[in-house]
Amino acid sequence: MKLTRRDFAAGIAAGIVAPHIISSARAQGATLKIGMCAPVTGPAAESGGYAVKGAKLALDAVNKAGGVMGKQLELIVEDDQTTNPGIVLAFSKLAADPDIVGFLGSIRSTQVHAMAPDVLKLGKPVMIGGTDPNLTHMGNQWLFRCRPNDSYSGSVIADYGVNTLGKKKWAVLHSTDAFGTAGGKALSDALTKLGTPSVLDQGYANQSQDFTPVVLAIKQSGADILGSYFTFENDLGIFARQLRQLGVTIPWVGSPSIVNITALKLAGPALYGTFGVADYAEDSSDASKAFGKIYRDAVKVAPDNQSSWPYDAVTILSAAINKAGSTDPTKIREAILATKKFAGAEGEYNFDQNGDGLHGYNIVKNEKGNIVFDKHIESAN
Amino acid sequence: MMDIVLQLLFTGIGIGAVYALVALGFVLIFRATNVVNFAQGEFSMVAAYLMVVFSVDLGWPYWLSFLLSLAGMALLGVIFNLGVYYPLRHRSFLPVIIATIGASILMANSVLAIYGPQPQVLQGWFETPGIQLGPVYLDSQYLLIIAVTILLVIFNYWFFEKTMLGKKLQATSQDKEMASLLGISVSAMIMITFIYSAVLGGLAGILVAPVLFVSIQMGSTIALKAFAATIIGGFGDVTGAIIGGLALGVIETFGAAYISVPYKDGFAFLVLIFFLIFRPQGIFGERVAEKA
Repeated sequence: MKLTRRDFAAGIAAGIVAPHIISSARAQGATLKIGMCAPVTGPAAESGGYAVKGAKLALDAVNKAGGVMGKQLELIVEDDQTTNPGIVLAFSKLAADPDIVGFLGSIRSTQVHAMAPDVLKLGKPVMIGGTDPNLTHMGNQWLFRCRPNDSYSGSVIADYGVNTLGKKKWAVLHSTDAFGTAGGKALSDALTKLGTPSVLDQGYANQSQDFTPVVLAIKQSGADILGSYFTFENDLGIFARQLRQLGVTIPWVGSPSIVNITALKLAGPALYGTFGVADYAEDSSDASKAFGKIYRDAVKVAPDNQSSWPYDAVTILSAAINKAGSTDPTKIREAILATKKFAGAEGEYNFDQNGDGLHGYNIVKNEKGNIVFDKHIESAN
Repeated sequence: MMDIVLQLLFTGIGIGAVYALVALGFVLIFRATNVVNFAQGEFSMVAAYLMVVFSVDLGWPYWLSFLLSLAGMALLGVIFNLGVYYPLRHRSFLPVIIATIGASILMANSVLAIYGPQPQVLQGWFETPGIQLGPVYLDSQYLLIIAVTILLVIFNYWFFEKTMLGKKLQATSQDKEMASLLGISVSAMIMITFIYSAVLGGLAGILVAPVLFVSIQMGSTIALKAFAATIIGGFGDVTGAIIGGLALGVIETFGAAYISVPYKDGFAFLVLIFFLIFRPQGIFGERVAEKA
């Protein structure tokens, strides 16, 4: 057989084009990828592990139900090291993969703030658990929150303390990071609205080794109730012990960290009798109970919000992509914002145009180490 | 008012005693080798984890776990000396310091890899968490820490001033060549210093663990303050390390109570900056200058 110049040219062309056609065909048949920034190392590594497990459970459920747009979902996890530079690096690694259609960010507001400019630049949906209200109110249309924000937790803590417990003299204690500052402000604002401004507004730096001055300030303030926003469980544990040791027994209503597993383990009896706002409470709804069961079966520990929000985030994102029928970011965004009356582990999602999915909190009580659901309060905001 | 001052004073001395114990390790190694061991804080962390392994995971008696943990720290001191300092002993101080930083990262990540990131709870020595003395609550663990620090001050004085081994260690730290000419084994003295420093760091970690919990970060948090205490007290001075640690604990506790809680750590480092500018040799610096 004689090889003509035309045959040779056709062969070369086929040789160049074929790999692209094959890889394109592979890509079309490949999995749909979701990226997740999680603290695999650093101070929040333990809760980060719970978050990844929650996301994977949702992934398994979605894949068992047929996947997304006929494809199996795949979760790519990058370690954010529990630091702001860490999450920026983790997100940039994930963002470099064009096959990733949506992301899970952090439960920590400071980290979400750090990654937010890159999220805006990328223009793809990122589900977040950070509860600083500003995150969904600063013009970044790609952030979607799967937990109620602190403006709601502040008003719910204030509502419960004032109207249910009947307390009027509040001490507000908060971390001085973005989460704690925003939370403390939301609580103080809510108390002012209720006509009971706080008698003490006290910030503290994360990773404090001693809270004696704080406890003494609370004692001196004459407060009859304490509201708190702690970022790290070891801080909460040290404070709780010292609070009890120094004889302060006033009711304490805390942000969600007061009922998470690590805090309960570290503080032990020092947290008995405290109240917390919890976005996740196992007995608050059928969907919450269902998540609790599969999580306990799979992970063998009690579920908490560290795992429930990533579970909901993956489920909502998958449902939105299915509904959009496309991986186009704008269409996914519209589908997420159109999500209404979605029964998630954290509660019933009704996304508003800011990207907030939940607008109320559960109040739970620590009864000798068991977290018991008390009531659900929708925010007045 | 007085009850608050006394409460703050007790807490400040308690937390300062922890800084002092770690600072002591810094000073001893600096005196013997002229380098700063930035892994000193990790000695505390490793010892606390050893206690968790022996006492919590294996359920062995507390006193046995304590002794085994300190023995483990002595072994770590030997390994640290042979693996980090000894190969670089003829180099300038910089490679040794960088090696100690590397060793610190290695230790933290090794514990992370072996034991996981979960903070752990370690019970204290006593069943009773503390005693109420009038208006002041005395945490039993802090009482123990303060008592151990006082004992160590006495022990260090006796050991370094009254025993032959202590004098040999002092001679080595002051002039290695002269000590060697006098028949003192400099390598052995440096080995003993590393062992003692590792045990001291470990002791601080074990004592403070019931108060601050056992975590990978616990060593670095304490070490930073202990380092500042060492400079305030006068680098290279044993008494200075103790006084510097106690002063730092008290200053930051009172600063937090009467000026600002969020800037608590700032006070410690403000004092450090003050000393670096106005008295870089520290409180007990004159004796160091004389030695030099």
